[in-house]
Amino acid sequence: MVKDLMTRLDKPFELFEVSIRKASDEDLVDISRDMALSLSPDEMKTIREYFQKEGRDPTDIELQSLGQAWSEHCCYKSSKAILKEFVFGIGRDDVLSRGDAGVMVFDDDHGYALRIESHNHPSAVEPYGGAATGIGGILRDVVCMGAQPIALADPLCFGYPDRKGDLPPGTKHPRYLMSGVVSGIRDYGNRVGIPTITGGMFFDERYTGNCLVNVACLGLVKRADLARNCAGGPGEVMVLIGGRTGRDGIHGVNFASRELTETSDEDSRGSVQLGDPITKEPVMHACFEVNAKHLITGMKDLGGGGLSCVVGEMALEAGCGADVNLEKVPLKESGLAPWEIWVSESQERMMCTCKPENLENVLAVFDAWDVLATPVAMTTDTKRTRIFWYGEQIFEMDQSFLTAGPLYHRPYTAPVVSSIENERVPRLPDDRAIILKLLSDPNVASKEWAIRQYDHEVRAATVVHPMVGEMNETGPGDASVLRPVPSSMKGLAAAIGCNPWFTALDPYNGGMSSVDEAWRNVVAVGAMPNALTDCLNFGNPEKPERLGEFREAVRGIGDFAKALNIPIPSGNVSLYNEAPGGASALPTPMMLCCGIIDDISKAVTADFKKPGSRIYVIGKTREELGGSLLYRVFGGRQGAVPAVDVNNVRELTGKVLKAMDGRLISGCHDCSDGGIAVAVAEMCISGQMGAVLDLRKAADMSPRKVLYSESNTRWIAEVSEENAEEFEKIMGGSAHNIGKTGGNSLKLMDSGAIIEVEEMRKAWNDPIWKIMGGQS
Amino acid sequence: MAVIEIRIELKKGVADPEGRNTKKALEALGFEGVGEVKTVKVYDIEVEGTHEEAVSEGEEMCRKLLANPVIQNFKVTVR
Amino acid sequence: MKEVRVCVLRIEGTNCEDEMADAFSTVGAVPEKVHLKQMERNAPSGLARSLEDYDILALPGGFSAGDYVRAGAIFAARIRSLMGPQLKRFVESGKPVLGVCNGFQILVELGLLPAMEGAMSEVPTAALYTNDSGRFECRPTVLRNDDRGKCIFASEIPKGGLVMFPSAHAEGKLMSNDPDFVSKLEDNGQIVFRYVNPDGSKAVYPWNPNGSPSDIAGICNPAGNVMGMMPHPERVMTRFTRPDWTRNPGPEEGDGMMIFRSVMENLK
Repeated sequence: MVKDLMTRLDKPFELFEVSIRKASDEDLVDISRDMALSLSPDEMKTIREYFQKEGRDPTDIELQSLGQAWSEHCCYKSSKAILKEFVFGIGRDDVLSRGDAGVMVFDDDHGYALRIESHNHPSAVEPYGGAATGIGGILRDVVCMGAQPIALADPLCFGYPDRKGDLPPGTKHPRYLMSGVVSGIRDYGNRVGIPTITGGMFFDERYTGNCLVNVACLGLVKRADLARNCAGGPGEVMVLIGGRTGRDGIHGVNFASRELTETSDEDSRGSVQLGDPITKEPVMHACFEVNAKHLITGMKDLGGGGLSCVVGEMALEAGCGADVNLEKVPLKESGLAPWEIWVSESQERMMCTCKPENLENVLAVFDAWDVLATPVAMTTDTKRTRIFWYGEQIFEMDQSFLTAGPLYHRPYTAPVVSSIENERVPRLPDDRAIILKLLSDPNVASKEWAIRQYDHEVRAATVVHPMVGEMNETGPGDASVLRPVPSSMKGLAAAIGCNPWFTALDPYNGGMSSVDEAWRNVVAVGAMPNALTDCLNFGNPEKPERLGEFREAVRGIGDFAKALNIPIPSGNVSLYNEAPGGASALPTPMMLCCGIIDDISKAVTADFKKPGSRIYVIGKTREELGGSLLYRVFGGRQGAVPAVDVNNVRELTGKVLKAMDGRLISGCHDCSDGGIAVAVAEMCISGQMGAVLDLRKAADMSPRKVLYSESNTRWIAEVSEENAEEFEKIMGGSAHNIGKTGGNSLKLMDSGAIIEVEEMRKAWNDPIWKIMGGQS
Repeated sequence: MAVIEIRIELKKGVADPEGRNTKKALEALGFEGVGEVKTVKVYDIEVEGTHEEAVSEGEEMCRKLLANPVIQNFKVTVR
Repeated sequence: MKEVRVCVLRIEGTNCEDEMADAFSTVGAVPEKVHLKQMERNAPSGLARSLEDYDILALPGGFSAGDYVRAGAIFAARIRSLMGPQLKRFVESGKPVLGVCNGFQILVELGLLPAMEGAMSEVPTAALYTNDSGRFECRPTVLRNDDRGKCIFASEIPKGGLVMFPSAHAEGKLMSNDPDFVSKLEDNGQIVFRYVNPDGSKAVYPWNPNGSPSDIAGICNPAGNVMGMMPHPERVMTRFTRPDWTRNPGPEEGDGMMIFRSVMENLK
């Protein structure tokens, strides 16, 4: 019985001592469970050993703190070794910071920040609040670099929103989750005034039990104002900024670091915090001001683990310890136990450090913005964290033991990879029926229902919008582009790429393909890819086959990034994405690619511009239909998952950008789900213009395979007759002329299929509106 | 100290898109026979003074901030 | 020429102040982003400001005070209690006041619009109510200049001319309980902008994104110096923020410029 091991100490406040030194191995498991520490038996043994050496038993707050710091979410204990092996440390001298957000050089005066993060489990339980707080957290990660957030991006994965039939126990209907998540992003993003410029929606039955909500943020910082996320040294004051601390969000990181269960709903409501964008806004302004005035030495947001993590990390990074006066923390309600204050994840809080002589000025700035700011701790030269409660010490631990956390090399098995030998080609209807069906698949169909609820233009810098083409008759875009510095024509492009289906069948090529997709989206608008950030959503790492998937996908991402020398200055790992009952969500390596375009007036959008242009496919089409939309929709099995030839990526990127720089390409669209067929159809829809395609010369295989293959590193380009010669000269055989624009329908010479553009628009436009309600 | 309840309702004839959409959502979740759905906003406010003073203060709050007479009616009661 | 000082007024939740200030800078004015707290009598010296020091008042978009209670209501109530009389004098003296999106909602809640009688009504006489779609709508909107010569923010736009200003709001339907509201606005020459289809014909959804009666997008007071509009001119100061600029050629300058240039011309 754990109760017997816990002794309430004779104090005027709630504090327990846990007799861990004499606890049996079984007791340790009970302690971890009953105190909701989510620590493994081995980890509990390590802790028992530590306190045996210290010669005393821990308090409840010490154990809680370890539970936070050692969670997967906080210390990446299962993933770190793999990340280190494959993706860390791609160095380039334009990486300005690898802090809470990565920061890259934008121009001589500015850097841009990028970061992506998951908010999966909270959103599965309470979609509105979960998604909203996800946005709040990612904004703070960018703010604490000293950067003004300038854009949000939010890739989401759900079960089919029109799903019929019984749901697995403890699961909410995908339509409900999708509606709540989009509302949460809308209300938080719009209220805080940061445009949501790109994203993605992925639908599959395997997300029904565990939806994925990833949120990304970009920021702009003057290079002179780039902030650090740690203290400057010992003897500094730690000032807690923003919201008050309450019981909301206790044990959020532990919740994120285990699988969902049938009762997650009831058990975990307390783990979902509620955000307040209107508190956030002045907090942001005030943080920028103290930072720009160089009054502070570092700042960091309070995310997972709350105070327990932020104090340790800010001190450890600076090689210091910290003395905390926990009773100074402003509370939402009285009666919180010290451990609850220490681990609460209440929203809208930041921590900054400053030299004591600047404290008064720092507090004055926050006061002027009506933002609560309270000195709660001092950094010390002891390398230990101590906590005091009205002068009485209740906590003392080594920084290195507490914050560094364990590191695992867990066992994994190499995944069995899908192959062309075992391919089963599905029975297919005619091309007309196929194309209309693919366009209306929710993975392809218009996401306008969500996009127009997000303000994607606030801050007045959005120059390539998420939807392109004729106004209010738009089609899908590739990357979105911002012009973040109004006095300059330089633009920042951002796009999401991910193919979970490829990753499930072939994790290595799936990881590579995901990067390739994000990369080619950025190239499609005329920008040079400059940096990546990733959110790796995978299953339980304690299952060797799940970890094997993760490892292979990360290897693929790393091989791509190293070969193209593109840094990944920030990233996030979300493991334990498994539905109640243990069905794994699709392995989902969500990539965000940022690119730079020197002159935004040269940006290219996907819509066909005028009749009589030539249509080219750039890049080689191979017999790669494994995991393709065609197979998913019509029941194909296995097959070769598209691979990536990194030298080819480098070469084609150079050629496409050169042609765009010469203004030779008038429309360009990345070729992904549904292959050439869907890409061209989408360009017809956004351009309100037909096309005639003849694929016989495009590759040495049946036109049908050419039409639907999803080979990587391909673009569809529209080139006017007068530019064709120069364009072909640059391409040097890498582009194949496959047709011409014009007319009111898409005509396929090979099969004789004819589909009117209006019919395609309807097939593509209506499905999600119909499911979610409303009209375009 | 009294607690007043201020109920802000849409005036008759003012369309209620939130109510309408909520009705649709409820029907989509399988609730049958859902009639009109109205959204109403309720504030519970602690105020000093007698019940009568509290009510008149609540009404003043409505006129100054809580209700727009073009679209909303209000009702103040002591709880 | 004398410096034209613009007060871009904000509280927490205001979020379009940067682009509003930039827009005024573009036409040569000197904007300052001022927090309402700075208008308080006891504001710290150095930070204290007074409305009288400015030539133009601009209320930018956003979600002031979270749009809790009603869009714009809290900001309006705070302005009224802090500086109602000064603001009334400001308007009566003919100085320009511009409200965009949330700013328009604030002007209506303040009684500065439509203000058919007197400069500022005691209680709101109109409301900007939830869009017919029930959703936040971020999309391009085309407006026709229906001003009859009163509004000092529209003088540089050709009469009957079309402009593209994007909309982004959830509450933009102009309502009143006066059945003759629209015709009175018309008679007073208060209707400045109407939503239209891109070819200039009567707007249907989504070109009228909120269901506003008679497709009204922006109105001014009878004197013409206070204007509120739902769409955002400050977001289209160059052609590159138009959603269709890559396919439809046009001048480098964005349509929004004309609003800001108009008011500057009128101050000369």
